[in-house]
Amino acid sequence: MNNYKTTVGIEVHAELKTKTKIFSDSANHYGKMANTCTNVIDLGYPGTLPTMNEEVIRLGLRAALVLNCEINKHMHFDRKNYFYPDNPKNYQITQNRTPIGVNGYVEIDTDNGKKKIRIHDIHIEEDTCKSIHAEKKSMLDYNRAGVPLVEIVTEADMNSAEEAVKYLEKLRELLLYADVSDCKIEEGSMRCDCNVSVSKTDKLNTKVEVKNIGSISNVGVAIKYEEDRQIALYEKGETFKEQTRRFDDKTMSTILMRVKETGNDYRYFPEPDIPFIDLTEEYIKETKENIPMSADERREIYRKAGINEINIGKIIQNRTISDYLNKFNNRINLVIASNLLLGDIAAYLNKYEMVLEDTKCTDEKFIDVVNYLDKGKINSKIFKVILDDIMESDSSIDEILENHNIKEMSEEELISIIENVIDSNSKMVNDYKNGNERVLKGLMGLIMKETGGNANPELVTKKLVELLKK
Amino acid sequence: MSKYLDLSIKEINKLLKDKKIKPIDLVNEVFERIESNSDLNCFITLNKEEAIKKAKELESKEVDNIFFGIPIAIKDNICTEGLRTTCASKILENFVPIYNATVIDKINEKNMIIVGKTNMDEFAMGSCSKTSYFKAPHNPWNKDKITGGSSGGSAACVSGRLVPLSLGSDTGGSIRQPAAHCGIVGMKPTYGRVSRYGLVAFASSLDQIGPMTRNVEENAELLNIICGKDEKDLTSARKDVEDFTRLIGKDINKMKIAVPNYFVSDIVSKEVLDNFNKTVELLKKSGCTVDYIDIKYLENAVTLYQIIAMGEASGNLARFDGVKYGYSYENPKDLEELYTKTRQIGFGDEVKRRIMVGSFILSGENAKIYYDKALSIRDDIKKSFDKVFEKYDFIIGPTTTTPAYDIKEDSTDPLKAFMDDVLVIPVNMAGLPGLNLPIGFSKDKLPIGMHIVSKRFEEAKIYQLASFLEKELKLNLDPRGDKNE
Repeated sequence: MNNYKTTVGIEVHAELKTKTKIFSDSANHYGKMANTCTNVIDLGYPGTLPTMNEEVIRLGLRAALVLNCEINKHMHFDRKNYFYPDNPKNYQITQNRTPIGVNGYVEIDTDNGKKKIRIHDIHIEEDTCKSIHAEKKSMLDYNRAGVPLVEIVTEADMNSAEEAVKYLEKLRELLLYADVSDCKIEEGSMRCDCNVSVSKTDKLNTKVEVKNIGSISNVGVAIKYEEDRQIALYEKGETFKEQTRRFDDKTMSTILMRVKETGNDYRYFPEPDIPFIDLTEEYIKETKENIPMSADERREIYRKAGINEINIGKIIQNRTISDYLNKFNNRINLVIASNLLLGDIAAYLNKYEMVLEDTKCTDEKFIDVVNYLDKGKINSKIFKVILDDIMESDSSIDEILENHNIKEMSEEELISIIENVIDSNSKMVNDYKNGNERVLKGLMGLIMKETGGNANPELVTKKLVELLKK
Repeated sequence: MSKYLDLSIKEINKLLKDKKIKPIDLVNEVFERIESNSDLNCFITLNKEEAIKKAKELESKEVDNIFFGIPIAIKDNICTEGLRTTCASKILENFVPIYNATVIDKINEKNMIIVGKTNMDEFAMGSCSKTSYFKAPHNPWNKDKITGGSSGGSAACVSGRLVPLSLGSDTGGSIRQPAAHCGIVGMKPTYGRVSRYGLVAFASSLDQIGPMTRNVEENAELLNIICGKDEKDLTSARKDVEDFTRLIGKDINKMKIAVPNYFVSDIVSKEVLDNFNKTVELLKKSGCTVDYIDIKYLENAVTLYQIIAMGEASGNLARFDGVKYGYSYENPKDLEELYTKTRQIGFGDEVKRRIMVGSFILSGENAKIYYDKALSIRDDIKKSFDKVFEKYDFIIGPTTTTPAYDIKEDSTDPLKAFMDDVLVIPVNMAGLPGLNLPIGFSKDKLPIGMHIVSKRFEEAKIYQLASFLEKELKLNLDPRGDKNE
């Protein structure tokens, strides 16, 4: 049963982070009371016409650029005609013939090295409204109608659930860091549909579309479920028709929605209410230059700064921390800064359910405290003592230290303590010189004890090693 | 009974300024005339109460522009806030918009008084206004004759002197053709000249709102106030403000005019042709050169128009589904039945026919075979017109092939119905401005019109030529005969 090859293609819808909708000036807000962010244009009232939100074009272009696409510089919109109550005009304004980007790719890391997942196209379109079905009635919330979307369509380039998950994680990171979308799957601002098929030969078998998957990890679950289900059918000698299924997160399985009898006929034609849009070289260049720093570029900076991979991962997971850290790049020790942000400061903020901006930790204070730690003026133990004051008082770090009666230990003092410890522990020193590096820890402990915890451990290690070499 | 409405807008304006009359006098007269001519069936909805209220309000205001206090009628596919807008369809029988079309905002800014919404072909689909859910309007020149369409009510109410001005819309001749049949001046401006916001779309790339008036100058004046770039309509054109009356009265000597051979071929009746030829002679005598030329694809324009207009219409009219507004089939057993019954009962036959043809044209491979091809030939039509205008100031021809026919005549033959607009449709395809000017009468005393076309955004020149002819021809265009009896 293992000689089946899985083929997966993915369509992702991501809502663009704009203030207003794509074709009208009603607000693009999630979580507002039903039908409060809507107007006659969103509702498709007779005689109303779309306008064009320029921000949508800019974000769509950004997305196309970060996905390494070729840009359709002379582009237009098309009407996709189909009847459904969530589609106010019974046509959706989308891009069919001239998607803003084509032939792009996203690179993922696999067990066999890097792999390019090709992007067939990325196009801009309007979201439909949200329908809520309750017993015999259906209710429509038009707040979502006309929210700008990009739809990103891959080639069938993924061959496992793992690859699909990696692609989605990478895509999410790209869009998130380009400020294109907030990519919150739970709020529906990123939605994934997967096309899955399995085959023993190079010829692709019937594909199944799985919709309504509520998280990236469930995409993996859904694909694995489909692999097993389809293989079992083929092994029984059965075949099936092309179909759409939905993922059910209670049973972690896929459930048949509809069988595709014939190809869908959306009767596309160019949208006559919106003239062609020309993206000039200059506009594309300017848009490209203004794309915020990508996650990969950030990783590179953190690696160079010496931050470990685990922490880099944590920082990238938290865009706010990354942005904050980047403010101080080349000005402070990023290793220390990131340790604070991921450690004691994160714990403090979690405890009080705050963000850094809510506290009294100004940039100046943060720079000072990182530099003091870096130069060994204070150590992490002292940092813990003064943390509450850093966050809550208007005083400078120097004032806080003074208030706590914490005096900086001079280098001479520290060296004299270290020399004392070396002199009075000749056995350990000899062991070290004979190659037993573990005794270093013991010596460190003794020194820290002598300093009463007032010394920076890194500085102590540095000085101790220097003095031991003499 | 007062006869202020028989005066020119300029004269009425002077009386208002001199406080000899009040807007309410005009409004009362309009409704007297509408009510005593109700058999013309020009209106679907009257705005009497609001019009009277508005007229009273205006009494305390300064007469600050030529259209202050002047009554106007609006085609019923142009949205009016708080005033029913039906598109002459059952599906919108009770639809009251909560927004104004941009042209309505402009009319209100000038303190004009909207007296009612005029009858038309359902969703502007037709050329004799007989597809109206509210039954056809009648031609003031002969009540047994059609008004033309689709802006039949707007044409008839101006022709019958019920209202001095109206707005129509023109997708494939719907202003100019009824203007010709009713003997009034009707202008379809350049595509993009007037905002389409609030005009219920039939074929978005062809639709254009335009003025329908008793004479040329008032037409130019009305275009002055309804035109302009609108941020709500991406297809509206950014153009400098201009006065469309500025060339009126200027010499037309040495103007170069082209007559496409197709427009004077055997598709046109002798009576119409004779009148047209007489006018051509007048132009030549007045120092114009008139050449007969061939324009490529002219004879295909109707076919191409059908493909594009019906394709777009099938999309535009999809929104009428009983879910959000308008007629909705009660207690459907499921969604499918809500859709099918609402549209089956809500739309008339012609509308349904065009939606079906349009859907067919856009289906699957047909989109490439028909729609894409039509779009590309449409570009060629534009180019061939542009080429003519490199050498000529105008293209002229008759507006219609025959005078208005009997209202009882069977008009269910769809091909024949489109032939009614064969002379005016090419102008929509190329986005050009075109105007109907009455130039004479048939032996049965039915008006005959001439169609004057210029290059894009040269409406002022059209008005120049039209007003020259109007002055020379001195026709009595009042169907009531000698109004000073």
